[in-house]
Amino acid sequence: MRKTGLVLSITVLSIAVFTMCNKASLFPESGYDDRLSGGFATVFDETSKAFSHPVNGLSDHDAHIHELGDAAFEQTFVTAPAPVNSGLGTIFNNVSCISCHHNDGKGTPTLGFTTSSMLLRISIPGIDTHGGPLDAPGFGTQLQDQAIFGKQPEVNTSINYSDKIVTYPDGSSVVLRNPSYTITNSYIPLPAGYMISPRMAPPVFGAGLLENIPESTILSFADENDANGDGISGKPNYVYNSYSGKTELGRFGLKANNPNILLQVAGAYQQDIGITNYVFKNESSAGQSQSDGLNDDPELPDSILNAVAFYVRTLAVPARRNTTDPDVMAGEKIFTQINCSGCHKPTVQTGVNVAYPYLSNQRIHPYTDLLLHDMGDALADNRPDFLATGKEWRTAPLWGIGLFQKTNGVPFYLHDGRARTLEEAILWHGGEAEKSKQQFMQLSQSDRSKLIKFLNSL
Amino acid sequence: MKRNCFIIFISTALSISCNKAPGTIVTEDFSVLEQTVLNDFTNNVALNSYLNLSVKATVLNTALQNLDANTTDANLSIARQAWKDMRTVWEQSEGFLFGPVEDNDYDPNMDTWPTDYIQMDSLLASGNTLDVSDIQNLTLSLRGFHPIEYIIFGNQGSKTAAQLTARQKLYMRNLSTDIMGTCNDLYLSWSSAPVNFAQHVITAGKGSTKYAKRQEVYMAIVGALSGICEEVGEGKMKEPFDAKDPQLVESPYSGNSTTDFKNNIIGIRNVYMGVNGGKGLKDLVAAKNKSLDNTIQSQIAAAINSFDNITQPYEDAIINQRTQIQQTMNLLGDLKETIENKLIPFIQQYILD
Repeated sequence: MRKTGLVLSITVLSIAVFTMCNKASLFPESGYDDRLSGGFATVFDETSKAFSHPVNGLSDHDAHIHELGDAAFEQTFVTAPAPVNSGLGTIFNNVSCISCHHNDGKGTPTLGFTTSSMLLRISIPGIDTHGGPLDAPGFGTQLQDQAIFGKQPEVNTSINYSDKIVTYPDGSSVVLRNPSYTITNSYIPLPAGYMISPRMAPPVFGAGLLENIPESTILSFADENDANGDGISGKPNYVYNSYSGKTELGRFGLKANNPNILLQVAGAYQQDIGITNYVFKNESSAGQSQSDGLNDDPELPDSILNAVAFYVRTLAVPARRNTTDPDVMAGEKIFTQINCSGCHKPTVQTGVNVAYPYLSNQRIHPYTDLLLHDMGDALADNRPDFLATGKEWRTAPLWGIGLFQKTNGVPFYLHDGRARTLEEAILWHGGEAEKSKQQFMQLSQSDRSKLIKFLNSL
Repeated sequence: MKRNCFIIFISTALSISCNKAPGTIVTEDFSVLEQTVLNDFTNNVALNSYLNLSVKATVLNTALQNLDANTTDANLSIARQAWKDMRTVWEQSEGFLFGPVEDNDYDPNMDTWPTDYIQMDSLLASGNTLDVSDIQNLTLSLRGFHPIEYIIFGNQGSKTAAQLTARQKLYMRNLSTDIMGTCNDLYLSWSSAPVNFAQHVITAGKGSTKYAKRQEVYMAIVGALSGICEEVGEGKMKEPFDAKDPQLVESPYSGNSTTDFKNNIIGIRNVYMGVNGGKGLKDLVAAKNKSLDNTIQSQIAAAINSFDNITQPYEDAIINQRTQIQQTMNLLGDLKETIENKLIPFIQQYILD
């Protein structure tokens, strides 16, 4: 009996010690469910509404705010003065948030239509007093290609595509479409040396999790001088937050040119729709001949801006599908082997945040490092944005990318929607991603398909 | 061994045939039923609705052309009825807002709200051309049902034929031509190449490039039921109700809002029950869980019937009939909860292919 007792005590002690030493970070991979891309903030839906669900665990009050933001996200704005949703424009790119962020996802890569999800940024060489892009005089930093009746859009815009053929070593080929942008009918002459950058509306779900990744984690991914010699540097963007008056780490926007969700949302209201708010109090047409001259700013109630920011912050991430499919599992290995994961970081831990417990301390799979990378000449916009050069873009999160066909009808990829398939998107990669792309092209047709099948499971 | 197997087989067969709740369908193979319901939804509900919508759009267009050519109060009345008839079909089709209607922005092209009075009045006062192609380049709030409603009904239906100006008539006529084109495109996107969405639904899990599994399309169908329940109960009805603000009501000129809401929920009934003798989701649910089917059927019926208690135009009812509106919103909340907490799990549990 005594011997048995001793054995039992040792066993209990061992378990206790083992348990104490087994920190969260040391749990084996197999202990996690691969499908939970957003950790606790994951939703199981693979329909067209997959990007449109609130995270789990919202209190009744928070769920109410989320719903208010959801409703506001869909509201169409009209010309001031109006009893409802007043203040559109006078110049704008679209009439509501949802018009561009189709089903909270991406949208259509056209310019200047009511169904367009794209716009052009503009600036002239040089930097402003805070290190940001220099305003194009009379245009600011964004071209509004629509206007209310009686006002002139800043410009008319159009896109043309030319074919670009890529041939694999195995002889098969893919036709890519290479965009070029034309600007006509500018309301005043465009300044000399102007630079434009096409930007397609990105999906908005999961933003709260990305906002909650500790700055130290993002900086730990940076390797600006490529010390490890893998050809991938990774550079943080530091951008000016006009609301806080400070320079901060950029996380959002296609060049990591925005520090947080509030500024992203407020900037979109003001620049894209022409709706002033407490963050951006002046009309995008201020000082221009299109100005409405009304004393109605800010046009958006503070509570609505806050609710929409909260809505975006609390949109859940869709779960992965087919994670046990052998091809998908093989594709995942290839993704790592050819170092796609060098920038598209599969796993990140969010920080502890008592204000948002449902986003706090989550093991997530965003497939981004939120850093800037040189993507080569073919994707370059040649327009710097704070520390981002004309060749650098922020690593796009890949979570949910396999559902674009569902949420969007026809899927489009990359910053300007030029890629119609995931394969095309991979083949556009260059610069720091050139080596990985070349390795992708060396793969057999079968292995390329497995990699794409893996991406479609995200 | 053989004998034992046989006994087990017989017992199982007996047990299945005896284990039959009243009204439960057990004679049809469930997988066959899954396919039949998809076929009937596609042909009887979706295709039929969009074809009907296209027909109603043509009727409205003809009525507005007649009103333009012969501007009498009688023709105005006919045009108003044609507008309401078209709204009936459209609102019912919102019971399945997935596929091309959302992918190709057909919905916002036709049904954007609010109306942009300032721009519309400026446009009408101008000498700008108002051809169909001009209208198609206008911002969304100047296209679709509601600008037509504004012109032919006026504030609270006060418009008379004599008040219609030549510019208004031109605008309404070409607005309806634009809608007619949109409805035709919407129907074709379901019925024929290149999209042929009907085939994607029918071949779900059997070659559809859109839906790798049948469960996916069923999730889209029930998700849309839940979506419209939420849009009506927590959006279109609740926002003006909470704010007590008639200006937030969606169809204020025609006084048609309550009818619109009711038709949205009739759209749910059409999908759930099936139409024209075809099978609906109810057949699948009843085959496995008759109690759930009973609950859903009674909740749909209760919600639809409750709209009849709202007897005043909605913009007045939000002030004077708050109890009745609250009751309807509660019933819609119950129905949405059942769809989300019972019907969606049912699909996930039983439709696996």
